[in-house]
Amino acid sequence: MSDAVLNNIRSRRVVREMSDQPVTRQQVETILEAARWAPSGGNLRPIRYIVIEDAETRRLIRLVSPGMFQKAPVLVLLCLNEEVMIEHSLPPSDRALLIDVGTAAQTIMLAAHGIGLASGPVTSYSKEAIRVILNLPASYSPEMFICIGHKAESTRRGMKAWKKINWRDLTHWERFPQA
Amino acid sequence: MSENWVLKEGEAVELLALLITSARIQLDEPAHYGPLRLLTATERLSGMILERASEKSREFLQGNVERIPELHMRMSDVDDYAAGLDGLCREVAECLLRHSTLEEDAS
Ligand SMILES: Cc1cc2nc3c(=O)[nH]c(=O)nc-3n(C[C@H](O)[C@H](O)[C@H](O)COP(=O)(O)O)c2cc1C
Repeated sequence: MSDAVLNNIRSRRVVREMSDQPVTRQQVETILEAARWAPSGGNLRPIRYIVIEDAETRRLIRLVSPGMFQKAPVLVLLCLNEEVMIEHSLPPSDRALLIDVGTAAQTIMLAAHGIGLASGPVTSYSKEAIRVILNLPASYSPEMFICIGHKAESTRRGMKAWKKINWRDLTHWERFPQA
Repeated sequence: MSENWVLKEGEAVELLALLITSARIQLDEPAHYGPLRLLTATERLSGMILERASEKSREFLQGNVERIPELHMRMSDVDDYAAGLDGLCREVAECLLRHSTLEEDAS
């Protein structure tokens, strides 16, 4: 793996304060094209991306999203499309579907970071209110927003860690000993 | 309490949206996010009323309430978070007294 990829992974941080500087359509398309390369269980591609640039729609979304602290110029909503699940006889409760959301979300955030943009994921919103505001098709389940924009000059620090961890604390090697 | 109108209808509805959606998402989120949501509502309400608020409230609204976003980020340090919230509780109590007849009686 090249240093550039590792540096991108290590230096990406969630940004919760963004400036008014717009994001170009080309930048958004670069990010969405990158997301298309995220791994997907069974290569089924159950995610649909909804891009929101309209200012009033973004304002209303923020009002029903208590966890959306940033005022981002672009929002990408990752939805699971139930039609894909029905087509492939997958129960909507299949947890692998949410792993798809995760791989896509991280790919979007790293792609944004790679082209000099800031991003932040948000899952703290009312799904039902979002359905109403976006007039979502019934088969779309809104799973996660990724806010995309430019980092504000005076950006607040990230959330203080619960405890300092390194990768070794999170890793176990080989079999667990017999009880 | 003074009888100033400090909130517009649109602002009040925005606050209702925040409170209602916060109540719903809290069912799926860790318990310690509860204070975070209440403080987010505090911060929003404070921002909405600041312009129209009287001197009696301004001191409070421009004090630690404005630093609530920084307080959020410290929630993993429980003692520090509690101390920050205790500070806000003292300040809101002082603000209540400034609005109360108790204070007027004393002066
Ligand atoms: C599934 C998931 C949901 C998240 N939801 C939110 C959210 O609603 N609001 C928010 O500000 N951050 C949210 N985050 C961001 C995390 O708080 C953040 O990744 C974490 O604090 C570590 O910060 P870092 O990514 O900058 O290292 C979410 C992250 C994940 C993976």
